Amino acid sequence: MKSISTLGLILAVASVGCGSAVVPKELASARTVYDRAATGPAASLNPTDLHTAKESLDAAERSFKEEGDSQVTRDLGYAAERNAETAESRARTLQAAAETERVIGQMHATTEAQGKLTTAELANANRQIASKDEALMAQGVALNAETQRRQEAEKRAAQAAADIAKFASIKQETRGMVITLSGSVLFTSGKAELLPAAQLKLNDVAVALTEQDPEATMVVEGHTDSQGAAAFNQDLSQRRAQSVRDYLVSRGIAADRITAKGFGPDRTIGDNATPEGRANNRRVEIVVTPKA
Amino acid sequence: MLTKLAPLFAALPLALACAHSWPEPKQPMAEAESASRSAREVGADTQPAAKLRVTLADEQIAEAKAAIAKGDNERATYLLVRARADAELALALAHEQNALNDKQKAVEKSATTRAANTPGAKP
Repeated sequence: MKSISTLGLILAVASVGCGSAVVPKELASARTVYDRAATGPAASLNPTDLHTAKESLDAAERSFKEEGDSQVTRDLGYAAERNAETAESRARTLQAAAETERVIGQMHATTEAQGKLTTAELANANRQIASKDEALMAQGVALNAETQRRQEAEKRAAQAAADIAKFASIKQETRGMVITLSGSVLFTSGKAELLPAAQLKLNDVAVALTEQDPEATMVVEGHTDSQGAAAFNQDLSQRRAQSVRDYLVSRGIAADRITAKGFGPDRTIGDNATPEGRANNRRVEIVVTPKA
Repeated sequence: MLTKLAPLFAALPLALACAHSWPEPKQPMAEAESASRSAREVGADTQPAAKLRVTLADEQIAEAKAAIAKGDNERATYLLVRARADAELALALAHEQNALNDKQKAVEKSATTRAANTPGAKP
């Protein structure tokens, strides 16, 4: 019986020893979580909290070593597990904050780049607008100048026409505007050279023809009365028409716009039987035909 | 905060050795309650994982008070070690959730900004 009692005592002691060797689940979990934290982001991002978790785990381990599976060991193990989780959570918080900062940085960079692009586009658009404004302004200036030039030209033409009316007749016929100049005003009898006074009058005619319609064509027609040889009159009328044409060209009428033609006595406007009629027949007509 | 616990862990074996003379854990109580309040202030109550931890912390603080009332300061001390660890974790989880929310908002705003700045995108 004594040996049985002794064996029972030994078994009881062994049982207590084995029981104390069983790691409480709080401590086991604390070890697992701490190992996970120590090999995760917390190791580099949050070493301070990880160190504290290690100290709390060490305290639990010491308690376990001294007391085994006691309430104190379980409490310290519990706290050690929570502390390791806290270290992990704070590491993840730091990671999230860093990621947030990176995203915001990228967003600002994108916005800034877009802002620079927009500024450049705006500057380019402003330059284009300024360029167009300058072009429009130049066009406006040119238009004003052209308008002023035309007004002045019309004024000069009107003045010239008024001056012409003093020594010539102006009529509108189907063949165009006809300016009729008396032969006695332009030439000495039987000659084709223009008189000095005639040149002054033709100056007004040249101004009017130049300003009124720059694209109109003109025919200078020479006419005589019926006195004298027909051939002479024909030649004289041609030379007089040519003389007037050449003078007008010298005053600015384009040479390709104006021609000369002599008709002799063929186209009368007065009675060659009377001095007055013959005087009317001795004439130069300038027929102005607008461009078709 | 956790670093403040280190002296406590170091002192526990000594305190254990003379268990019959445990002082009332006033400082651990104050620190556990402070950690619990901080966790609630940053929104632990609105986040399931954090809420669980802060609730446990409060329950353990209440148990510690009961233990103190019964004169069991040793048990109260260890309950407060647990309570403070839970409250600190709740606080950390609440901070983490807030950081994740901030990150999500930043990602969404970045996507919106990128879409708005993409040529041809509708404003």
